Amino acid sequence: MPRPLSGRMLPAALVAGALTAPSVVWAQDIKIGFAGALTGPAAYVGLEIKRGAEIAIDEINEHGGIKGRKLVLVARDDEHNPVKTVAQYRDLVERENVVAMIGATNSASMLAVAPIVNDTLKVPVICPTTDATAITENDAKKEGRDNYLFRVGMYGTGQANFIVDTMVKKFGYKKIGLLNWTGGWGVTGRNELLRRVKELGLTPVGDETFENSDTDMTPQLIKLRQAGAEAILNYGLVRENTFLVQTKSKLSDETPFVSAWGIAGPAFWKAAGPIAEGVLTSTTVTIDGPQSPERTAFIEKYKARYKQNFEGPVFVVGAYDAVYLYKLVMERDGTDPKAVRDGLENVPSFKGLVKAFDRPVFTHDRHNALTEDDMIMTRWTNGAMLPVMFDDKGPYVQTDAATRKYIDKKNLSLM
Amino acid sequence: MYFFLQIALSGIATGAIYGLIAVGYSLTFLTTRVLNFALGMWVMVGGMLTFSLVVQYGINPVLSLAAVLLAMTAMGVAAERVSVFPFLRAGSDVWVMSTLAVGFLFIDFAEIIWGRSPNPVPGLFGSQPVRFGALSVLPQQIAILITAAVVFVALDLFFHRTLLGKAFRAVAHSDQVSTLMGVNVRRIQAGSFAVACGLAGLAGFMVVPLTLAEPQMGTVLGLKAFAIAIIAGLAAPRGILLCGLGYGALEGLISGYLFTGIRDILGFSLMIVVLCFKPEGLFGRPQEERA
Repeated sequence: MPRPLSGRMLPAALVAGALTAPSVVWAQDIKIGFAGALTGPAAYVGLEIKRGAEIAIDEINEHGGIKGRKLVLVARDDEHNPVKTVAQYRDLVERENVVAMIGATNSASMLAVAPIVNDTLKVPVICPTTDATAITENDAKKEGRDNYLFRVGMYGTGQANFIVDTMVKKFGYKKIGLLNWTGGWGVTGRNELLRRVKELGLTPVGDETFENSDTDMTPQLIKLRQAGAEAILNYGLVRENTFLVQTKSKLSDETPFVSAWGIAGPAFWKAAGPIAEGVLTSTTVTIDGPQSPERTAFIEKYKARYKQNFEGPVFVVGAYDAVYLYKLVMERDGTDPKAVRDGLENVPSFKGLVKAFDRPVFTHDRHNALTEDDMIMTRWTNGAMLPVMFDDKGPYVQTDAATRKYIDKKNLSLM
Repeated sequence: MYFFLQIALSGIATGAIYGLIAVGYSLTFLTTRVLNFALGMWVMVGGMLTFSLVVQYGINPVLSLAAVLLAMTAMGVAAERVSVFPFLRAGSDVWVMSTLAVGFLFIDFAEIIWGRSPNPVPGLFGSQPVRFGALSVLPQQIAILITAAVVFVALDLFFHRTLLGKAFRAVAHSDQVSTLMGVNVRRIQAGSFAVACGLAGLAGFMVVPLTLAEPQMGTVLGLKAFAIAIIAGLAAPRGILLCGLGYGALEGLISGYLFTGIRDILGFSLMIVVLCFKPEGLFGRPQEERA
């Protein structure tokens, strides 16, 4: 059902509107576009991307822009609707003359846009999120044409591989249970998990699902427990996974539970509270635990500017890096979209916030900046997503610089 | 055996939520043949108000409950006046859409006021599960079950033992004759709608610790409660609680013995089957349409 503007998002929408309204624009401005959800249930994703891009753009402009030219962000609200995303991409490129784009907020939008970008619009797109593998592994790539789609976030295949491999190879679980959301992302996630589990020569002992409306998941969890699941692998979002850990707690079910990055943000702990202790989440970015000085400075800057905590660190940091990648290439190769695209395939190293790349960020055949080796497993520990590390004695988290707390593989509690 | 008992128990606990909401449909149907199709959204408003009062302002839960009931009943009076009465008077069925429209307004306003992210509300009796041998259930689930039982008994006594309750039933039977007997029909009509909204507030207050406070929390609950009200029979409030509990248990068993994806298909199919063979509901008595 179409919804009018949601009020919490109204200020943001007004800002977006103001940015898109006809205004005096200096001829030499360099425009970067973004079309994503700025209202609606996924608005926090779009707003975080916008904030990350804004911080980067303002930093660049404070230091004289790109060769004296000002960088401008033109943001549109696609309401998470692929039809609108396509129209807005066309509009941004053909009428606003943006020379580069920052992804969108959902995979469906990016999958709809990808062929149009490669066939007609021909501007580079860097996706900070949206993990459908086919966004970058598209027809243009298969046919050997110029592929304009890049990604600094994780791709679905990679994340599922990482989750399964970490659980099976590093934690040593052999009896894998699946418990996934029946929504779109949960379905693709389940298929990817299933594929990887089978590739490792295993068969899941259980394969359960839950609906949006399931506030109690007793049947699913008991079935998995009775099937002898040593770990539960999951693609789900904050709300449903809160019900999941709530039911686990009710049943005193201590089966290790690991989820993809749908719960990789403070919202999960806010909703679930202490019963989320011990839940594992894979992600590319956590703002908890030890941070690089650049990351620390960025976190401070974000909090000072937006007077709030991160809602989705992955999105903010990804958008920030995307803008800086464009800056690097545009300063070197100019602002022609084709030149920027070619240039992105030729960035030998890059000190990003997602990670410091000491290898080429992208290559001709690899448009995903991150591989599954760049993912981190985190453990929800007293409200923080602490990175899980491994040594001879097994998996551990660092609660402070000096203390290694080892994780009990039986129930993921700290020893 | 543990498997069967635990999922049936959890299902019954969920079913109590459905039953508590479903009786609201019956209340208005009994007096005016009007259904508040947005009852799920009213439950949500009750839940969001509870979140504000208990969590944001730290007000005592009992006082909060009183405030929620009062506010929701007052809103019910207002909503009936603008979204039902004008159409009732005109003999039109547009209230189907207008009650729903009120619900969508609620969702949008809730998003403006509270945002979209889910917020936890602590249960009245903590979150430590209560154990019966190997079986476990959350204290809030027991509280909901008891609340639902109390509400149904109270309604039953009200309808059958009090003069006002008899007036409600008289209006349900024939508003014209009731008027002749000195019953203020208009007040009964508005009152039943308001009481249904107040009950939705109670339901919201009770379920929000289990469902998280967020603008969409009531939509599916309201839909399932509607299916239960139809299965039991809109004119049979006594059967609604039983059907609610049974439906919840059935959902759990379907998830447990078959698979989750087929659960809602079977549930809503059941509603259609009942409508085909017993349109007045499992517990309803066939009656002639009023002129």
